[in-house]
Amino acid sequence: MILRVVLTLLSHYRRHPGQLAMLLVGLWVASALWSSVQAINATAKESYARANALFSLETDQLARSDGIALSIDDYFLLRQAGLPVSPLLESSLTIENTRLTVLGIDLLTLPASNGNSRTTANGGSLTEFISPPWQTQLSPDTLQVFRLDRQQALGATPSIGEQRLPPLTLRNDLPPNTLVMDIAAVWALFGEQATLSLVTASGALSQPPEGYRLTRATSLASPEQLTDSFHLNLTALALLSLVVGLFIVQAALGLAMEQRMTTLRTFRALGVPGKTITLAILLELLLFGLIGAALGLISGLWLAGKLLPDVASTLSSLYQADVQRSLALPWHYWLGSVAITLGGLLLAGSGVLWRATKLQVLALGQSYAWRFSYQRQLMRMLQAGGLAGAITLGLATCLSLLPAGEGLVVSFSLVAALLFTCALCLPPALNALLQLLQRLLRRRPLGQWLAADMQLQLPRLSLAMMALLIALATNLGVSSMVGGFRLTFLEWLDQRLAAPLYINATPSTLTPLNEWLTSQPEVLETLPTARGNTRLLAINSAMENERNANESALLSSIAVFGISTVPTLTSQWPLLETFDGIPRAWEALAQQSVFINEQMAVARALQPGDSVLLETLQGAVWFTVAAIYPDYGNPQQQLLVTVDTLMQRFEGELASTGIVLHSEADTDAFRQALSTEFDLSPDTLVNQQEIKEAATQIFERTFSITRALNGLTLGVAALALLATLLAQAQQRQRQLATLWALGVPRATLALLPLIQLGGLALITGLLAIPLGITITWLLVAVINVAAFGWRLPLQLFPLDIAVMLLTAFSVALFAAALPTLQLWRTSPRALLNEETQ
Amino acid sequence: MSFPRWLKTLSILAACLMLTGCGDSQESAQPQQTAQDGFAGLGAESQGFVQADASTPLMFPEDHGAHPDYRIEWWYLTANLEDSQGEPLGLQWTLFRQALMPPQERPALTPWAADQVWMAHLGISQHATHVAAERFARSHSAQPLAQQRSQQRSEQRPQQRSEQQGQAGVVAAPFHAWIDDWSFRSPPDANFERFSLSAYHGEGDARSGYDLTLHAEGPLVWHGENGFNAKTIQGQGSHYYSQPFLRIEGSVMLNGESRTVQGRGWLDREWSSQLLTAEQTGWDWFSLHLDDGRKLMAYRLRGGGENGTDYRFAHLFNAAGQTELIGRDSIVLTPLTTEQVAERDIPTRWQLTLPEANLEFTVEARHANRWMPTTVPYWEGDVVVRDTPSQDQIGVGYLEMTGY
Repeated sequence: MILRVVLTLLSHYRRHPGQLAMLLVGLWVASALWSSVQAINATAKESYARANALFSLETDQLARSDGIALSIDDYFLLRQAGLPVSPLLESSLTIENTRLTVLGIDLLTLPASNGNSRTTANGGSLTEFISPPWQTQLSPDTLQVFRLDRQQALGATPSIGEQRLPPLTLRNDLPPNTLVMDIAAVWALFGEQATLSLVTASGALSQPPEGYRLTRATSLASPEQLTDSFHLNLTALALLSLVVGLFIVQAALGLAMEQRMTTLRTFRALGVPGKTITLAILLELLLFGLIGAALGLISGLWLAGKLLPDVASTLSSLYQADVQRSLALPWHYWLGSVAITLGGLLLAGSGVLWRATKLQVLALGQSYAWRFSYQRQLMRMLQAGGLAGAITLGLATCLSLLPAGEGLVVSFSLVAALLFTCALCLPPALNALLQLLQRLLRRRPLGQWLAADMQLQLPRLSLAMMALLIALATNLGVSSMVGGFRLTFLEWLDQRLAAPLYINATPSTLTPLNEWLTSQPEVLETLPTARGNTRLLAINSAMENERNANESALLSSIAVFGISTVPTLTSQWPLLETFDGIPRAWEALAQQSVFINEQMAVARALQPGDSVLLETLQGAVWFTVAAIYPDYGNPQQQLLVTVDTLMQRFEGELASTGIVLHSEADTDAFRQALSTEFDLSPDTLVNQQEIKEAATQIFERTFSITRALNGLTLGVAALALLATLLAQAQQRQRQLATLWALGVPRATLALLPLIQLGGLALITGLLAIPLGITITWLLVAVINVAAFGWRLPLQLFPLDIAVMLLTAFSVALFAAALPTLQLWRTSPRALLNEETQ
Repeated sequence: MSFPRWLKTLSILAACLMLTGCGDSQESAQPQQTAQDGFAGLGAESQGFVQADASTPLMFPEDHGAHPDYRIEWWYLTANLEDSQGEPLGLQWTLFRQALMPPQERPALTPWAADQVWMAHLGISQHATHVAAERFARSHSAQPLAQQRSQQRSEQRPQQRSEQQGQAGVVAAPFHAWIDDWSFRSPPDANFERFSLSAYHGEGDARSGYDLTLHAEGPLVWHGENGFNAKTIQGQGSHYYSQPFLRIEGSVMLNGESRTVQGRGWLDREWSSQLLTAEQTGWDWFSLHLDDGRKLMAYRLRGGGENGTDYRFAHLFNAAGQTELIGRDSIVLTPLTTEQVAERDIPTRWQLTLPEANLEFTVEARHANRWMPTTVPYWEGDVVVRDTPSQDQIGVGYLEMTGY
């Protein structure tokens, strides 16, 4: 019997294929975006897991105190002194725009790990690894760079330039885009171009040997911690599209239920038990759910495949975390995706099921009473909206109590709650507006009808409008944030890159080079920089009393950056806050003061005027914080001092040097002279333009995924609106027929739905603007600080807002135009027929 | 953009796994298994290497140094010492060399390129305490041992010492064998007559090692014609000589506690390209100092004898280094007691019979806990020699057992 019931229920969709399409489209898009983002996250997690599984042992690094690059002699010297150091020779290769890290190791001296499981690797014997022709070990997902598959890979020797790599060997436990080989093999390929570092097992040396300094592996967070916020952003967007998709589903289900009420009552009258009917509807839902989930998974995977390379390059440029560029999905991913789709569907269909169980056999002929029930529904929506509003307020209070830079999850929940509050209040608001319109248009019957008819349509349109509101507001928020970030970032880049030429060389080359530069007539100014490390021991802030470094979070390694305070730089260097004005801040920096980056200010709750106790070469010293500067894109906290201070007080080395030439100087000739004098490779000399281009490229990639997901969400909302309108087009014609019979001309008749829907969409769009601006503010001022540690100025783009409104309007018009066109083509007789049916 | 640290760590760890993986495969070379290359690969293919044979006479001081054209080689010191309280203490220091490839396949001499791998072991035992440590290194045999660095570098760093050497190596005269900070050397005026040995491992309470002075009180002893010692009936074997007459004094640190020691030592020198046949899976090796001044070196190679029997050898010589007896098939080496050590059954008491010399010893480990849990693991420890009929102690020595 139940089969018969299900089949009868399903037969409804044969008469209304539009509703079926809408239902499946809703499920499909909801599931597709969600699955794709989950696929991306799962793949990234898998890549991190490979890292973390082996992360138990960290290495400390030794460098020479005099800044000269390490050589094999240093290695021999330190080994002879009995220090357990191991050499690492690093270089990189770029093949088809993919940067591969080449790591040369000495298996014989690598710090042994005690806790590791003794798995026998398939990497072959030690002898093969360290004897020519050596081996290149790589993970299988790196193979695609060489256009090789697994079968061809073993023993292959891909050529790189004029040389060939040692025969390939696959290792599943290596991170992507990393080639590991014997240190002698790396030397054979790269020679002096490879950089030597000396590592020891973390904590193996209690103090560095004389003449060397030790960088401990303590302050670094794991890639998972760093990238957490990024993945949370993606998940939030995906969740949003899931919600929008489910709105469509609920609309479709509600409509189908409405229209099948009579059928259901007939069933009951024929003696079908209520439970059977409920079960039949449940089966129907499951069937749709499975189809929708399958469709969603397939297209979600396709989408993820398209997006993953961008995500991977974003993660690698932002956090230097390598994620493989092909999907790797664990079993729970598949299960999870289907479960989310089915769960969402059941949630969306719960209303329908509820009504099916409460079905009154004798309540025949009440199908037109829905208008009253809708009033109740509006009331309930208002109540739910009020509840969501209360939650929003609660979350906002909670957020204001949290220290700045924390509460990423709370912020996202706040955005979600805010969206729901507004979405839930939208139908009552629209209803009230239409009520008002009806009253205002009392004297214009057609106008009054227009408003009243709109009000009648509202129950069916409300969900689509809610979806539209959410999508529009989010779209506005995200695009304003991205646009604002873009402007701020480019401006900041302009300010920070004061010199037209930059030299990136090893510290040992930079020392003589900086001296040489001062003697060159073409050189107007040199801007040396340096970098180093220190430890933050204590904080003395105006807000609180002295905080001691007993908290482990405080006693951590902090990067120090050194710049030269020449006017070329100081006049442009952006500062966010100063203690007593910008000129005084720069004066202070030359003395016992430091600048801190915004990330540090947020994380340590520091303000200009506070002081920090830092570990220096002369012992612990108090420094005053003179200013806070923006440092976009840097995941770490940083202190800024002058180069002189850095070299005298902290363990550090020279970093890149900026050069300003006289305006009449021949840049190319100077470059040439510089390269010849110091035997520099072409890529050590970069001009400002190249850096800007590289940075902009990273930036564009970072937000390409956000943009793609955002655009897709808006598309889904448009689809929801279109599907809803199409689904009820049939009914609309009946109501219009009456008007036609009353003598309204067909041209006016065709125009009416356009005015109705266009107006409704426009109102929704206008309501979305303040909501969108609020979301933008939450994104740039709250979520960004929590996720990345910096705040962006709130910037709005009127043109974007106009485009958004226009999009909403056009979608509504387009959706209304199709039924209108149909109406235009239908003969008046047919319309009347429909009415009498 | 610098290479991310965590990624580096990961790659290093992956590599470590590979190294331990290699260790595993060697560890599982149990006697009953058909190990293709014998114990620790000592029976592996040796094509292209110079082969040890009886026609090559030993040459000194050259032969104290390394023989990179041969596949394997070692400098092996064992010592039976007593601390100031008279408590017995045993120690060993070994430097192993293995060539990665035959001479003609050596890579060009560039920084880091290697054709030799070095492994060194340190072991100290007293009563139930036993500590072991190991070191590894690579070198290139074409590398000048006292290197002249390139002009540019020495200009940059005038403060550096003039003598630059690789991470490990052995020079014949004046004798110097080293790996990292472990060093075993002779002064120029007493080459291979006087030695100093220094090797330490660990920090604080876990620090163990020794600083020793060694005096040769007798001649070098050759174990076979021209110093060639056959190890199978097919003729595989090694060049093998010893300095068994070492008087030792110095200080030993065991788990952070230092003590003064003195006693006797035995230095073995051996090199070959194929020591064992593929069927030989391990050995039991004795070096014994008898109280009457005589010394005995005896071993049993399990497998490789006639019809798969064991290959046995014994060399008994007097205080002047003169051979009293070379025994082969007649000698009997019988395990009397086995004990569970490192999840293996290890014979810790032996019956040793030399019928031609009318000798019958019981050799007993001072303690079973002398397992060397190194990458290539084995048992090595100090023993007491007793006269079997009377059970009186008549000497001390060292026992090495591999392939269990």
